[in-house]
Amino acid sequence: MPYDDPEADDPHVLVGVSLPGDASATREMAEAFSDEFAQMGFDRDRILRLFRTPFYAGAHAALQLLGEAEVGRIVDESLRVFGTQRHVVRSGGLR
Amino acid sequence: MPSVKNWQLGRDMSYPYEARFPSRQFAFVFNINRCIACQSCTMACKSTWTFSKGQEHMWWANVETKPYGGYPRFWDVKILEQLEEANPDGQTWSGAPSDARDRPYGQYDGQTIFEAAHRTLSPDSARVLGYLPTDEEWNSPNIYEDNPVGPKGVRNRLSETGERLPVHNTWFFYLARICNHCSYPACLAACPRKAIYKRPEDGIVLLDQEQCRGYRKCVEACPYKKTMYRGNTRTSEKCIACYPRVEGKDPESGGDPMETRCMAACIGQVRMQGLVKIDEDGAWAEDRWNPLYYMVHVAKVALPLYPQFGTQPNGYYIPPRWVPRPYLRQMFGPGVDLALERSAAPDRELLAVLQLFRRSNRIIFRYEVKEGPKVYEGTLHGRPVVLYDDTVIAYGKDGKELFRTTVEEPIHIRPAIHANSI
Repeated sequence: MPYDDPEADDPHVLVGVSLPGDASATREMAEAFSDEFAQMGFDRDRILRLFRTPFYAGAHAALQLLGEAEVGRIVDESLRVFGTQRHVVRSGGLR
Repeated sequence: MPSVKNWQLGRDMSYPYEARFPSRQFAFVFNINRCIACQSCTMACKSTWTFSKGQEHMWWANVETKPYGGYPRFWDVKILEQLEEANPDGQTWSGAPSDARDRPYGQYDGQTIFEAAHRTLSPDSARVLGYLPTDEEWNSPNIYEDNPVGPKGVRNRLSETGERLPVHNTWFFYLARICNHCSYPACLAACPRKAIYKRPEDGIVLLDQEQCRGYRKCVEACPYKKTMYRGNTRTSEKCIACYPRVEGKDPESGGDPMETRCMAACIGQVRMQGLVKIDEDGAWAEDRWNPLYYMVHVAKVALPLYPQFGTQPNGYYIPPRWVPRPYLRQMFGPGVDLALERSAAPDRELLAVLQLFRRSNRIIFRYEVKEGPKVYEGTLHGRPVVLYDDTVIAYGKDGKELFRTTVEEPIHIRPAIHANSI
């Protein structure tokens, strides 16, 4: 597939297969990334940078489909919950 | 063929050898909701173990874009199709997920790759249903899955502006994979040389290079396609679970068991690896304060990958929240609905355990939560959420404290250029 056209009778090549997808799935994906990275301590800038980087295709696709304003709203919602605290990790005396 | 107990299937199943279980088992949990396919794990493994001549195509750790990607291409679609052909419309589950440790997902009524082989393959030496991927199927690990191909007929070149093309409005997610160090390894079952063995101390599955003659039966049999053939040595190779680190023999470890390279390199904090206690019957022994035990058997948010294959894999996944349920049920079994319900609105203990991910590269054997005051109460995406200033403490093998995570009010750190200004 990468170099040649698929063989017409190859049953494993996906040709015109539709997958269920709508704005709600994209929104849920954006919410999941936003929640998870907010829990990890990322601030608004860092989370939005993740969405804006085209090489993180999942997050970036959500930004393209939902728009900057909607993704910003999702990130703000995550940060309203998880961004109010800062997690501090203290080593137990390891080198 | 001997009968062995497979707790993930909730029943006994056929396997070419009698059951033998390690005292502890190498296991891991990946939280897919966090994975952005940065491939740090992939490169950590590659640069440690498979950078030599003849290993160019080998990615013991990889991240693939589901549903349309795979390494090798179509690995799961192909084995699922073979199972369906062997047992049309019969690959189903019955019963309901429960708290029973010996059947947490109900009972699998279909055929495993061992049982399907027993009924459909000949000669008798063919012990496992499988197939040998072609060279072409191995050659594109996550390449072309997220990026459009380059000009036709030009090798090794991607479209330079491809990432800016319009996106398709569909769902997809990233599936990070390594060898599952299965409790009933298909590679081990298929090897005519008995070159593959499972270590009694930690359940890591290794391939003895001295014994291997490169028949590739293991490559054919592993349903996850995590054994790979090396042409220039004419032997097969596989993930070794970074066993020197797990043994605590890495110079940095100071004797403490350390997590593998792919785990330690995960910048998305997706991964946690441990060594879980195993009962005499092969099920996980009750170990309430082990974080992996908690996620698999108490919170039930982490599920095995394609349990229906029957190898009892020891890799577990917190499923992605946005993917259609039928797809997830096929991939992770009937426990998906409960796992999603709980991981989308994590309770107090689960939130605490999620804070243990990637805070240290040492293996966590036990955790403790010291409860603190409530710091937030509200809603998140329409669901109620309550946060507490709890302290989570992680302990290592000898009960030594590895680290503790607390929650503090945010502080502002003055930039260096203004450090002394008022």
